[in-house]
Amino acid sequence: MSRRGIVVELLVPVVLVVLILGGYVWWRETANLNPTELRQLDWATIRGEAWEHIKLTVVSSVLVVLIAVPLGVVLTRRGMTWLSPIAVGIANIGQSAPSIGLIVLFYIWLNVHPFWTGFRVTVLTLTLYGILPVLRNTITGLRGVDRTLVEAARGLGMSAPARLLRVELPLALPVIMAGVRTTLILVVGTATLATFIDGGGLGDTINSGIQLYQFSVMVAGAVLVVALALVVEWVGRVLELVIRPRGV
Amino acid sequence: MWNFIHDRRSEIAFNTYQHALLVFYAVVIATILAVVIAVVITRIRGLDVAANQVSAIALTIPSFALVGLLLPVVHLGPTIGLVAVAFYAVWPILRNAVVGLQGVDPILLESARGMGMSEATVLWRVRLPLAWPVILAGIRISTQMSMGIAAIASYALGPGLGTYIFTGLSKGGVAANGLNYTVVAIVGIVVVALIADGLLVLLGRLTVSKGIR
Repeated sequence: MSRRGIVVELLVPVVLVVLILGGYVWWRETANLNPTELRQLDWATIRGEAWEHIKLTVVSSVLVVLIAVPLGVVLTRRGMTWLSPIAVGIANIGQSAPSIGLIVLFYIWLNVHPFWTGFRVTVLTLTLYGILPVLRNTITGLRGVDRTLVEAARGLGMSAPARLLRVELPLALPVIMAGVRTTLILVVGTATLATFIDGGGLGDTINSGIQLYQFSVMVAGAVLVVALALVVEWVGRVLELVIRPRGV
Repeated sequence: MWNFIHDRRSEIAFNTYQHALLVFYAVVIATILAVVIAVVITRIRGLDVAANQVSAIALTIPSFALVGLLLPVVHLGPTIGLVAVAFYAVWPILRNAVVGLQGVDPILLESARGMGMSEATVLWRVRLPLAWPVILAGIRISTQMSMGIAAIASYALGPGLGTYIFTGLSKGGVAANGLNYTVVAIVGIVVVALIADGLLVLLGRLTVSKGIR
């Protein structure tokens, strides 16, 4: 993509988020709110929920990368390739299951044990749910690496781990990062469902708005979630550009 | 589990049917909208980039947030489900329709015009049939995505298997059938998704023009 195209693509979300958040702050400070709205849209509450939402997203995404990338590496090693369609197939079926269903299912199953708080169950579900895009792209990316380059690295006397770390993974990185971005968007959106199992996050505001039938509260929650999702998507794009190794 | 299903088989069947129907209507609406928009987009230079940008942003909107945004506008439960699901279903189809329509060889269009076809005939007889396999791939993606979104949308009193998930949640524990409700909903939705995908593959076999199969 052209330089100008990249600049526009990075600028549009920033402008949108500034407009959305600016609009929200302006409305929150000037509108004549009833006591319920004031309580639900208290700044400290919103800050806490936003922080929980970010924690859910970041913890799950890091776990996804830690699981899916090594798994993808293992599945593309010699003698293991026959396993990769099976693994991707399982991940595919897992993803066609509805996210809300999985969160509730794990909650009912695991919440009998005090370790499994709403937050942890949500992280578990989001991690399982987010694995597919990174796994699939890691496999695709590693497979797409030109075999002659790996052969050349071997000729230079590189060991198998060195070839993996210094040739194969750097070359596959753009494809892997595209998968990470997809996962980030999936995870930040699905984290809104944590509210149903007391996992926290900005879904709480939307849900209390629906429960109390306060349109302003549900719309405020939704708007804030959209802003956060745009920010996360933007971070994903920046990561994609920054992490890309030079020359690829 | 078996008794649970047996006792409620007609109710489960009805909810499954409602779920499938909701997704079906939403995807049909989305397909019509997406193809029409794509035809317009491919006529105007530069608009395809803007469309990509818009669809990237639209797809980041969390579905539960969209339910929150739609409730004040559309008060009725099932309508929210339909609007929310159709909203997300549009984008993958739109992206594929644009790619498919742009991918048609200009030489073919030229010769179609040379044969005396009008623009409308060229669109109907040449461009759409050639782009159809790509559009259909988009429809498959949208259908899969819609299954899960329909479940979330049913929180707003919408129909379908999603209601079982929320029933399961409110009943809680294993003893109170909470687990049964949730498992039935998840399995039901996965099965409906698999059947729908199979039907779409079949539709592809029947409708993709013989020359490009």
